[in-house]
Amino acid sequence: MSAIDRFKGGEGVLSNVSRSRKELVEGILFSLPYLVLFGVFLLYPLLMGGYMSLFEWNAFFPSRSEFIGIGNYTHLLGDPQFWNALGNTLYFSLLTVPSIVIVGLGLALGVNRDIRGRGVLRAIFFSPYILTVSVAAVVWTNLYSTQYGVINYYLGLVMSNPPQWLQSYVFAMPSIAITTVWWLVGFSFVILLAARQSVPEYLYEAAKLDGAGTWRMFRDVTVPQMRHAIFFVVVINLIWAFQVYGQPYVMTSGGPGQSTTTLVMYLYEAAFNQQNFGYAATIGYVLTAILVVVSILNYYLIGGDNE
Amino acid sequence: MSNATTTRLESLLPGEVSARSVLVHAVMYGAALLFLMPYMYMISTSLKTPEGAIAAGMNWIPDPVSLHAYAGLLADSLIIGWAFNTLLIASTTTLLVLIVDSMIAFALTRLDWPGQRYVLGLIIASFMVPGFVNIIPLYILISDLGLLSNYLAVILPFAAGPLGVFLLAQFFREIPYEIQEAAQLDGFSNWRIYTRMILPLSRSILSALALFMFVWSWNQFLWPLIVLQDQAMYTLPIGIVVLRDNFTYQPSVTMASAVIASGPLFILFLLLQEQLMSAVEMQGVT
Repeated sequence: MSAIDRFKGGEGVLSNVSRSRKELVEGILFSLPYLVLFGVFLLYPLLMGGYMSLFEWNAFFPSRSEFIGIGNYTHLLGDPQFWNALGNTLYFSLLTVPSIVIVGLGLALGVNRDIRGRGVLRAIFFSPYILTVSVAAVVWTNLYSTQYGVINYYLGLVMSNPPQWLQSYVFAMPSIAITTVWWLVGFSFVILLAARQSVPEYLYEAAKLDGAGTWRMFRDVTVPQMRHAIFFVVVINLIWAFQVYGQPYVMTSGGPGQSTTTLVMYLYEAAFNQQNFGYAATIGYVLTAILVVVSILNYYLIGGDNE
Repeated sequence: MSNATTTRLESLLPGEVSARSVLVHAVMYGAALLFLMPYMYMISTSLKTPEGAIAAGMNWIPDPVSLHAYAGLLADSLIIGWAFNTLLIASTTTLLVLIVDSMIAFALTRLDWPGQRYVLGLIIASFMVPGFVNIIPLYILISDLGLLSNYLAVILPFAAGPLGVFLLAQFFREIPYEIQEAAQLDGFSNWRIYTRMILPLSRSILSALALFMFVWSWNQFLWPLIVLQDQAMYTLPIGIVVLRDNFTYQPSVTMASAVIASGPLFILFLLLQEQLMSAVEMQGVT
């Protein structure tokens, strides 16, 4: 064994073969605690869910479950409640994702300017993100209240008939969306601010020399330079939006009617109110499939590779 | 001398304040006020008397200030128990994540063994799996294992998430290999390299990850709601919804419970904002 090999191998006395076996054993030992958790609580349920989705699952006697192939999937296609939940989820995503990205970007660019109390502003805009969903939802439910809510108190000063926010078919979902923007925008804001701060300043100075105005600099320097961060923020917010549950659960219980029932709420209901576990697992799988497609589409549209 | 410095100096001169700068300040501070409004409502309402909280009109400063809602909660509800449960779950989860994630991240980046690439690939691919897909099979699994209404039911699935492994692996990879080689020449075992070198060198990312995991775990909602089937075992996020439903017409109680549920996190946030935000930034970078 040459000196160089000894240096690379580190162990010196051991041959390369037994060394790599030792690394293999240690590699597995170091990985094992996490891999057990990962295998049991993530991978296994994922596969199990796919299996369950092919059964009319018997919640009480799993062995008496009936294999129905793609029966759950075909049932889903003809299930108006599923389409309603999907539609509501899409509507919620459409309301929240662009708003979060635009508001987040606006706040990030604002805080990035020469402004006093920048640190305080940054903390304020980020802070709702550390709240649990039920705190955010409970507080906003009160703000929207028609009896003692702040919002309608002030609206009442200028209009005679302010909306019944959470009880209204028209306003319930937008109200939930506003709460969500307030609650979650901090995450995107911090990421966009970091991205903005890593745009090299000389690009702006060059653009200024070329006589570019604020808008041109925004369009030709800021946005292209922040492209990756913006797309990351879009994707992660889409993924969150598709999984929305807590806000409508606490604020409207999916109502009025079924107008704010989302996919995950419907999944929960299928499983725990109707004991239809196989069908619920199917909804979960379809939700995942949608998210995977969305992520892949985004990857190709925005490209991790067009750098 | 950079351009930025000159502009900053100029904007400090009284006569030179541009209209644009005034506008930016007004917009940003206006937005900040809107962001703070829900907190102000929450705190001010929690300090009102039951009658004051539902009185018509909006008085931001409670008159009289009353601790009635807090006293009632502490005396007549399970909120102290819930707070304890939440703390226990969040800290155990965080500790578990730090240990197992750093161990596997070490194995994936600092050791050399066949198959590590596939393991890392599998873990990264699992990022695509949204938490909610798994709730049904996971629920059945947990119930088969006899873990319903056991804190492990909340802790273990959460600790199986891939985020920590991914962040730590990214960080460990950047630590120069020469240090490790020198230690190996000195006869250090891998365990010693892990505990005495890699972990201390990674203190910044470990604390950022710890904080993020703690906050996330503290805030879990749907999963604890499903598996903790006994009110005494609830966590604060679920508990305040129960309280809200029990005290529908007492917003002061609901808001006081919201203050209690978020208070500890706010203190943590005020102390450790930088770490928390850097954990978020790292997710954007990776």
